[in-house]
Amino acid sequence: MLAVAEGNTHAVGLGEIKLSRDPQDMLVAYGLGSCVAVAMYDPFTRAAGLLHAVLPERIKDAEVTSAKYVDSGVAQLLAELERLGANRGRLVVRMVGGANMLSLKDAKQALNIGERNVAAARVALTSLRLRINGEDVGGTKGRTVRLFVADGRMTVRVLGSETRDL
Amino acid sequence: MTLTLTFDDHLHDLLKILAAEGIRSAADGLSSMVGARITVNEPRLRLVPLATIASLVGGPETEAVGIYLQATGGVVGQFMLVMPYEKALELVDLLMEQPTGTTTQLGTLERSALAEVGNLSASFFLNALARRTKLDARPTPPAVMVDMVGAILDIVAAVAGGVGEHVLLMEGQFLRDEREVEVTFWVIPDPSALAAFAE
Repeated sequence: MLAVAEGNTHAVGLGEIKLSRDPQDMLVAYGLGSCVAVAMYDPFTRAAGLLHAVLPERIKDAEVTSAKYVDSGVAQLLAELERLGANRGRLVVRMVGGANMLSLKDAKQALNIGERNVAAARVALTSLRLRINGEDVGGTKGRTVRLFVADGRMTVRVLGSETRDL
Repeated sequence: MTLTLTFDDHLHDLLKILAAEGIRSAADGLSSMVGARITVNEPRLRLVPLATIASLVGGPETEAVGIYLQATGGVVGQFMLVMPYEKALELVDLLMEQPTGTTTQLGTLERSALAEVGNLSASFFLNALARRTKLDARPTPPAVMVDMVGAILDIVAAVAGGVGEHVLLMEGQFLRDEREVEVTFWVIPDPSALAAFAE
């Protein structure tokens, strides 16, 4: 694993987007449950971006650029990356998360937010003509996802399992 | 949401009384469940931003146990009891009158004991609220989650509608004889419910 200094580790909190072109950097979204993280990476310019969205669809009073919602967040992530010099045609797009943290009998409480977040990400990415190059979604386990700016490598960690590459 | 605006000294004092009453009744419920005297000390009450919760429980990747319920009826809100995994094991030992360290993993029995703690805490708490506010409030069945804190809290963020929100945090210790286990209750009241309390 690449060694990343603490100062180069950038946590992407709920409802946030973080971008970087610094090869020393690593973007990380800790403990994704029903939330969805969408990562975009341009291998040529080494422009990397990570979105950590909470809910599938933007409500009408929310800002159109809000990263809290999957639909507006995905569009905003692409827009910000393009401003940073990324080329849409080269982007490697991956998504992680959208677990159902509550068991089936509690599904009503959960409102299937995880599943809806994943579905919303597929719709948003398709409408932006972006192909999904890798994904680790659904299930019932929380995940931590890391994106290394140097080479675009992405890892997924689940409690009790080995960290693996996506 | 105008939760921060409505959370004034008056409301804080009122909620503090409600919290103390609610937690005391929850301890009574637990006592009858385990057939031994369990008490809870005076809870501390704070209003904290939702985004800071994970760091208070040891960071978003910390393995934790969350017991989650929603309140339905006249009082709408969410109720989350969250503790680090080790604390949950300790609490099971305390409830089952076993030496600390006896429980090493959470099987079906241990999980249902914890679910019952959540259920009792929430029910008694909501009953105390209902008595004061004359609003009826019922908890949904509890869900027990064992995972990273961040993942457990996603449901709270999603149902609360976002992350700019504040939650009401109550911290207290369950005591049985000379043993104690620190637990944290998170109550995430709907703003309309807060308005009702303030009246």
